[in-house]
Formats: sequence, structure tokens, C-alpha cells
Amino acid sequence: MAERPEDLNLPNAVITRIIKEALPDGVNISKEARSAISRAASVFVLYATSCANNFAMKGKRKTLNAGDVLSAMEEMEFQRFVAPLKESLEVYRREQKGKKEARKDKDKKADSEEQDKSREEENDDDDERMEEEEQNDEEEVDN
Amino acid sequence: MAAAGPVAGAEAPGPGPGEEAAGAGPPCPGPARLARLPLARVKALVKADPDVSLASQEAVFVLARATELFVETIAKDAYVYAQQGKRKTLQRKDLDNAIEAIDEFAFLEGTLD
Repeated sequence: MAERPEDLNLPNAVITRIIKEALPDGVNISKEARSAISRAASVFVLYATSCANNFAMKGKRKTLNAGDVLSAMEEMEFQRFVAPLKESLEVYRREQKGKKEARKDKDKKADSEEQDKSREEENDDDDERMEEEEQNDEEEVDN
Repeated sequence: MAAAGPVAGAEAPGPGPGEEAAGAGPPCPGPARLARLPLARVKALVKADPDVSLASQEAVFVLARATELFVETIAKDAYVYAQQGKRKTLQRKDLDNAIEAIDEFAFLEGTLD
């Protein structure tokens, strides 16, 4: 089943909420416009990924890291995103650290990734974590 | 557990973000907020690129946040055109106008049809 990248879309409810909050009260959005913005968001991810990957390759790395994504934003002329993204990243890192510590207390079994702050881990582990993230973070779940 | 803490104008993110399934925190638009887009979906898009081998969890997070900022930006930019047309409903053509007029959105040309 060849799924085109363009078919991978992001949850409608979340996209709609983000749009609504960006616009003044009382403003509506047509279904077509919302759907187009959703598709644009997917294209954005694909383009940003490709851009970020160039930076990773330049650095002779196989793993995309946060810095590559930030560099991609500048390259794509979205420099104004960089500062807020850095702030979000700080919050995220703190939160991950807190989560890890909480988990360490719960799980007696040694997970062996304690010190890994930069989180450059294998796909498998990542997938596992992603599953967890999905359960935790997803609002309108398209199960 | 106040995970996110008091950061640069961001309101309290509510009960343990990431702890509950419906991560519906208060709508605080501050820059230092956690992602609303599910990271797993963003990651699926990242994996769709055959040239990408691995992406760190942080990279996926930053991408998710960047995408949210992008959605906000393009919605606002498109809305300018709706206002010009004295409409209170954002329509597809407003988006097309924004994409054509704004350089940063050039990468979208031809991709939304």
C-alpha cells in the first residue's frame, strides 16, 4: 500500500483549533480553507524535514536533531519562529527530564537511557516512546 | 507536578501535561507551550522522507511546534484577504492569495490541489 506523503495528514480538530485561536473571535473558516491549511501543514513538515536533513548530512550525522530543524527554519525564511521554538524546546527538555525521573521511580527495571538528554536514540526506542507520546498527547484520537 | 513551570508569560499548563490522554490544556498561546499536534503523526511524515534515517524526539517536537506556528501564520495572513473582501469567513481563495503574495509560502505553490 503506497501511501503518498501528501496523504499523511494531521488531525483536523487540532488544526481547526489552532486556526481559530489565531483569528479574531467571530471569524469562521470554510471547510475547504481548513482542509487546504491542513494539507499545507503536512507539506510544511515534509519540506522542513528535507531542509533539516540537509543540515544533518552536512554535519555528517544520520540523526536529525533539534538544531537541524531550527537551521531549516532560517533557511526557509521563517526566522521569526526560531526564538519561540527555542523557548518551547527548553520547556520540553525540562518536562522530559521530569517525566524521566518520575518514570525512574516507578519502573524498577533499568531502562538504561537515563543520561541521554539529547535523546538521539534508535528508531525502535523512539517508536516506543512515540507510542507513549501518542497516547498522552493526542486529543481527538483517530483510533 | 508543575512540569512546565512559570515560563515567559505562559499560563499554568493545567494538570500534568502528557499525563492525561486529552492533553487539552487551557488555550494559552504563549510560545513556550507543549505541542498540540500529536508527535507520532508528525514523526510519520518525517519517516515518509526516504533520505531521512533517524530523527531525535526533540527534532520531532520542534517540527510539531514549528508546524503549529506555521498554521497560525498562514491563517492570519490569509485572513487579511478575507477582510479585504469584507468577509468574516476565511475561504480557500484567501489562502491562495496569501500563498501567491507571500514569498515564504512559495514552497506551497501547486501542492494544495
